[in-house]
Amino acid sequence: MDLFALGAVNAVVGNSLDAAALEWALGGGAVRFDRDCFFAVAGATARATVSGKDVAPCTTTFARAGDELLVEQIISGRFLYLACDGGIDVPSLLGSQSTYLPGHFGGYEGRMLRSGDSVRLGARPTTHPAEGFHAAADLMPRYDSGIVHATPGTQEDLFDESAIRTLTEGEYKISAASDRTGYKLEGPVLANSLGTLPSEAGCPGAIQVPGDGLPIALMADAPTIGGYPKIAVVSEADLPILAQRRPGESIRFQLITIDQSHRALKRRLSDMHAISQHASRS
Amino acid sequence: MSNTQLRAHPLGDTAVTITFGADRSAELLHRVHSATRSLKAASIPHVEDIVPAYLALTVFYDPLGTSYEEVSRKLLDACNRATHSMPKGAPSREHRIPVKYDGVDLEAVAVSTGLSVEGVVASHSGRIYTVDLLGFVPGFAYLSELDAALQLPRRAQPRPRVVAGSVAIAAAQTAVYPLDTPGGWHIIGRTQTVMFDATRDAPALLAHLISPCRTEGGSTRGPSECRGAARWIYSRLAP
Repeated sequence: MDLFALGAVNAVVGNSLDAAALEWALGGGAVRFDRDCFFAVAGATARATVSGKDVAPCTTTFARAGDELLVEQIISGRFLYLACDGGIDVPSLLGSQSTYLPGHFGGYEGRMLRSGDSVRLGARPTTHPAEGFHAAADLMPRYDSGIVHATPGTQEDLFDESAIRTLTEGEYKISAASDRTGYKLEGPVLANSLGTLPSEAGCPGAIQVPGDGLPIALMADAPTIGGYPKIAVVSEADLPILAQRRPGESIRFQLITIDQSHRALKRRLSDMHAISQHASRS
Repeated sequence: MSNTQLRAHPLGDTAVTITFGADRSAELLHRVHSATRSLKAASIPHVEDIVPAYLALTVFYDPLGTSYEEVSRKLLDACNRATHSMPKGAPSREHRIPVKYDGVDLEAVAVSTGLSVEGVVASHSGRIYTVDLLGFVPGFAYLSELDAALQLPRRAQPRPRVVAGSVAIAAAQTAVYPLDTPGGWHIIGRTQTVMFDATRDAPALLAHLISPCRTEGGSTRGPSECRGAARWIYSRLAP
């Protein structure tokens, strides 16, 4: 969901940025390492300890075989990423190591991890950042900003100006009915003239408006094709910010041009590049 | 051949949707599939994926390599040049899907259409459908053309969960939900047929039946049937 946090947490333990890691949603839990391991956590802010010592965010941390990482509570944000040096060793299926929960395939037996599961780690990288290395906080997305930038949708001409104004002036709360497929948003109703259309492509970040006028922001497991009109699309650069909002928390949308959105994405990539460079030099 | 004006719109900051027309038809869908093949053959730089649909195709591009203006101009040019002759003598194949008609919306569909439940079942089961598209979720095939008497708009509010194997209708289409997903179609029955299995050589059961696509390359994989929704843009920085 938060691909920036996934990349950053991998960089901090010396993995390639797209190595498999564990995504941890909302609740706490514990992991015992069965080999010496450099690990890090990033994304959501959590109260976490390893062998009784606090674990700092996005920081190269060493654990001995037998040590236990305890995540007591996720304090802010929604998804916590745990990367271990060597990555999670699961088979690649259809070009991905991700778990696709609706289809029960990919990742670890196509399902969420349960208490008692044992997950294999890959071969350790030959070099990794020194213990205590951390990604500079100002290179991470501003998760607390609550502003999500978006570009006007493919079908914006189906919505009149007042609907676009409503979207950008109103505040939208993440509904409890939100998951990896989409975040249902509660707030001012958006009128659209057509209801549904012949199905066409969507993507993560697309803000679609079903007949009840309450928008749904599609997320990582978004359908490839859908029939609800799309009023706007969240900027790729801001998807991590939206992903980390919890049910009950609010956001505001701000419309920008495609060029502005590309510039924001390039800044985000250059921040990731900086984290990766600092990590490899530490 | 006379082309209606093609139009390009951005779909966010990583995709362009090229619209071919405003009204659904078999001819328009065929043009979209033909243009999809032409674009794939043209290997336009920075193009990463192409998703055909009823009125439009959508091209995902690398925003680091090109601008929206540049990529949409190249795509419009290529789509305008695409030829769309009908595939010659492509053998039509059939796949039978046994259905038990006991869906939660069956009676409501009967009421809305003014048919009896038996009438709905007879109308739905008494036809051969064409595989128009694959998309939505892995293995979901959009099938047409539903009997005009059965055509209803989608439900105003999608259901949060439709179980795998549900047989459903909406507008001129019918489909089998391959997985447990949210869904806004009217559920009229269910089947035991497995529509998608990630471990099969051809994961999506009906991919090979998309007629415009089976004439080239011998690929059994339909357009974008397996496209992971999450684009991994940060991996471009990996050493």
